[in-house]
Amino acid sequence: MALVDLFVALCFLLGIGGAFFTAFHPNIMYAAISLIMTLVAIAGLYGALGADFLAAAQLIIYVGGILIVILFAVMMSHDIYKDRFMAGAKKYILPASASFVIFAGLAALVGKMDWAGNTVPDFEPTARAMGWALVGPYAVPFQYVVIVLLLGLVGAVVIARPSIKHEDDEGNQ
Amino acid sequence: MSLAEFLSGLNHMLGTGLPMVIFSVLSAVIIILLFAMPVGGIATYVERKIAADFQERIGPNRVGPLGLLQFLADGVKMFLKEDTISKNADRFIYNFAPSLVMAGSLGAFAAIPFSAYVIGADLNIGIFYAMALGSFVSLGVLLGAWSSDNKWSLLGGMRGAAQIVSYEIPLGLTVLSVVTISGTMSMHELVSQQAWPSVHGGGHFWNIVHNPFMFINFFIYFIAALAECNRTPFDLPEAESELVSGFNTEFSGMRFGLYALAEFADVILFACIASAIFLGGWQLPFFDLRNLDIGLTVGDVSLNPLIQTVAMMGVFLAKVAVLIFVVMWLRWTLPRLRVDQLMNLCWKYLIPISFFNLIGAAIWTWVFKGQGMLELLGKMMGVL
Repeated sequence: MALVDLFVALCFLLGIGGAFFTAFHPNIMYAAISLIMTLVAIAGLYGALGADFLAAAQLIIYVGGILIVILFAVMMSHDIYKDRFMAGAKKYILPASASFVIFAGLAALVGKMDWAGNTVPDFEPTARAMGWALVGPYAVPFQYVVIVLLLGLVGAVVIARPSIKHEDDEGNQ
Repeated sequence: MSLAEFLSGLNHMLGTGLPMVIFSVLSAVIIILLFAMPVGGIATYVERKIAADFQERIGPNRVGPLGLLQFLADGVKMFLKEDTISKNADRFIYNFAPSLVMAGSLGAFAAIPFSAYVIGADLNIGIFYAMALGSFVSLGVLLGAWSSDNKWSLLGGMRGAAQIVSYEIPLGLTVLSVVTISGTMSMHELVSQQAWPSVHGGGHFWNIVHNPFMFINFFIYFIAALAECNRTPFDLPEAESELVSGFNTEFSGMRFGLYALAEFADVILFACIASAIFLGGWQLPFFDLRNLDIGLTVGDVSLNPLIQTVAMMGVFLAKVAVLIFVVMWLRWTLPRLRVDQLMNLCWKYLIPISFFNLIGAAIWTWVFKGQGMLELLGKMMGVL
């Protein structure tokens, strides 16, 4: 399994490196594209752990969808080269404490796990099992997520829609 | 096969010694270069010839017999051209973006089943993998456009990304309906299931005639794929008459060449996927090429697998060629859509229709236990 270990280590390095650049790169554009590294590395980790469907879904949803939206937002922002975007407002305390809480929670979880004897299980295709899980035991949570997403879509349309102005008799707005 | 399996296979191969490793890596690179580069080049020649035919011109006819070597001349020109980078360009992203596009298009070819025996990697999520790698194409277009510090480019890139993200939805839904009726995402399985019903083992024949919904879905897939490859009538990201050359305006030399090649590779890729999941890949009507036996032998070794492979690849590539011809035909026939028409077509027509078809295909599969129209007809007439 030496090569798999190497691959996993590479993914860890890429993921953490990408996250570091995303947080600390002075140029917001580079901060955004460093996310590519992190997201692809996480897809690689999923792949190495045998979650092939999740890996491809990670690429489609995060690289093909969310990252593009983030890039759109960044490209539209004003004068991104002029200022270091972090220079204006240095807010360290709140983000740092929030990340510390998340990190502490994850660390507690990792500590609880019995790692001895936990190796990568033999591969079995995950797509079919996931499909059955989503229409079987997890049908209700799945539908709940569907409704939340639908609400999000409708909300986005409502916010983005230009307010309707009533026309008067001459056709002027 | 999963990534973990692939890696352990690679690990096993590494144990067999360095020459084997070098051989494998070289052969993968050579196959990609030998397939993608000349096919991309020949596609440009064919495109120019077809364009000439449609416009009653002669087209390239000077370099080599019938102008056949024109693409080599084009390639040499591209390689020797000065590689200019505009002063305010963001050099790192500018250099890096074309390779993202190329990686996205070429990587997906690994999952294409050229025959029953020739497939780069028969992943159990093959079709999903091919679509996932497509995300890099839109990313590369957007980043390349932004980094070249040119308003035309940026407009083109924005259009390209918006268009690709939108049309991925009907594309994904049509592919999803194929997965629904087949119950698998492995490309090899998908093609194997599309055998003629009466041959040994039997299948439900090409997915395009599996049920009426799939018939409509094929055309939706084709339209969405055209938009994904930025081909006319959806070539708004390039739009020569409005945006100079769109997202690749500032690129020259081989960097432009990568974008151009990736565009053709994308067209070929989508034609390959359409042929594999809708038109039966290497399957022929009435006959199963896996049973082809012409009795040729060399000593004790039967030549059948070789002959079958050649026949299958011939059938598969013929279907792909027909689809590519239609793409070029459309390019020289239809005018370009406006942005609002483009979005209307996607969100108001293609997406609702493909949702309807997905539900229809699911119900068909449930009611008829996954049988296709031809199977049902055969059972009704008592031939099956």
